[in-house]
Amino acid sequence: MSVLEVDRLTVALPMVAGLARAVRDVSFRLERGETLGIVGESGCGKSMMALALMGLLPEGADLRGGITLNGCDLRALDEKAMCRVRGNAIAMVFQEPMTSLNPVHTIGKQVIEPLMLHSGLGRDEANAETLSLLERVGLVDPRRFYGAYPHQLSGGQRQRAMIAMALSCHPEVLIADEPTTALDVTIQGQILDLIRDVVSERQMSLILISHDLGVIAETVDRVFVMYGGAVVEQGPTPDVFARLAHPYTQGLFAAVPQVGEGRRRLRTIPGTVPELADLPGGCTFADRCSLAHETCRSQVPDMRSVGENHSAACLRLDAAMASSSFGSRR
Amino acid sequence: MNVSRRPGLHTLALRHRSFLLGSVLSGLVVLLALISLVWTPHSAYELDIANKLKPPSPAHWLGTDHFGRDVTSMIMVGAQNSLVVGVVAVSIGMAVGVLLGLWASAQRGWAEELVMRFSDFTFAFPAILSAIMITAILGPGAVNSILAIGIFNIPVFARITRGSANAIWAREFVLAARAAGKGRAQITLGHVLPNILSAIIVQATIFFAIAILAEAALSYLGLGTQPPQPSWGRMLNEAQTFLYLSPHLALFPGLVIVISVLGFNMLGDGLRDLLDPRLSRTRLAGYSSR
Repeated sequence: MSVLEVDRLTVALPMVAGLARAVRDVSFRLERGETLGIVGESGCGKSMMALALMGLLPEGADLRGGITLNGCDLRALDEKAMCRVRGNAIAMVFQEPMTSLNPVHTIGKQVIEPLMLHSGLGRDEANAETLSLLERVGLVDPRRFYGAYPHQLSGGQRQRAMIAMALSCHPEVLIADEPTTALDVTIQGQILDLIRDVVSERQMSLILISHDLGVIAETVDRVFVMYGGAVVEQGPTPDVFARLAHPYTQGLFAAVPQVGEGRRRLRTIPGTVPELADLPGGCTFADRCSLAHETCRSQVPDMRSVGENHSAACLRLDAAMASSSFGSRR
Repeated sequence: MNVSRRPGLHTLALRHRSFLLGSVLSGLVVLLALISLVWTPHSAYELDIANKLKPPSPAHWLGTDHFGRDVTSMIMVGAQNSLVVGVVAVSIGMAVGVLLGLWASAQRGWAEELVMRFSDFTFAFPAILSAIMITAILGPGAVNSILAIGIFNIPVFARITRGSANAIWAREFVLAARAAGKGRAQITLGHVLPNILSAIIVQATIFFAIAILAEAALSYLGLGTQPPQPSWGRMLNEAQTFLYLSPHLALFPGLVIVISVLGFNMLGDGLRDLLDPRLSRTRLAGYSSR
């Protein structure tokens, strides 16, 4: 049985401009030990999806669809029951380690609290567990870090502490929302390695959210490309990276600067992400797509298979894949 | 642990002029009150009509009033009165106001609306007017004036607490705490309150000064502390009649009111600067995790 099942998840947020459809009809199953990457530009609904899974959407948000964790319907739980699920069965690591830790409490206190809250361990046991967790996430000499305050740590160290917090109750699903975006490139790799290691070590399922294709490529089994709140391409990571099907995915790849390509203007995708409150009819990417036809503006594309478990939502898939010069480049 | 420190809190406190002067002045008032518990130059209650309206002299340092009572002693005993009013009134306002503010911030929606509209309603009346109204209803006296000032302080603290708490609720570490499965009450006590404590302490210090002033005003109007209990406000009131004859009677109580209000205000300002986390940061230096 899948650990996490998401069925036609839709999130709408009331905004000044109208109802913003931040997540549209996203469905997937996550098996035990499986890792899923969600990639897309800022504002494509990635983070809202993570918050929806945690039951932490901002007030006034409209959530539709089903979220089932281990056969238990999370939508049916009240706030109190949801508190027992959060941090326990499903945990989250946030983007900004600088602001995700409470400045007035020590690292140790912040790790031990969710542990004692959910596990029912006594103080001594929880203490020992916290120290071993801190050690596991690479904070060597954990006793020093136990008593340290967040401002005394570097960004990488804080993110390690955040991961320790998230791991404390052995969650089955770990959601990491841009966990390395705020960090130096050299630290990014270390943190990703850490996440990958603990996930496989503990047989957790991982949902990794990032705008960075490199991060996704290195870390996850399966990838979702999101655009305008919807999934436009999905498939096993090697397949997607070998055969970029959707014009948007191709554009994302082309926008990654290459070392050794000489000086040239960075390639970008023209235009900006569509206003989620005012999505165009038809394909949401049509306005920025060089292959767009008349039909693209009127007809909503369905997911079409382009390989085993690999599919994309585009009406001009043939043209897109034929013109793809990026797929062969890697 | 290899800790490189910016100047510690003590050093910063000693360098902060307003904090330093504020603590000396307010410390002086507290000291007066404490000494008066065990010793005063004369009795603050004993009448000595033969020696009435005497100017300052070695026997009566600050002179005597129209009943021949020693002004020094009255001011010292009056300090007790002012401090008690300040402490109790601010405590009432703080206890109820902070609770209301935290509740409003955690619940949002109608609870917040209720607390805030109640505050607006109270603010619509000038403070002294509502205090007069409350003492008029409950009757004059020290206890009732404390109550009146305390009740007026409730919306002040409710507002500042709600405002600061809302800012904390919007912070990412609160989201992280919620993601870790903590409930509203736990987050309020564990994350919100500790982060807004300094704002509340600063507010308490400043409203302590305002409470002292309010008590003096109520007593001046005859609604506060009742005779024979000495009170700075009533001393001012009684001195009014003899202003031309013996100006010292108005001068000294007025001076101690100014000193204590100034002292506690400066202390509050200083605390605000010192408790600002940007001023005192420490960082673990030369530390690498791998």
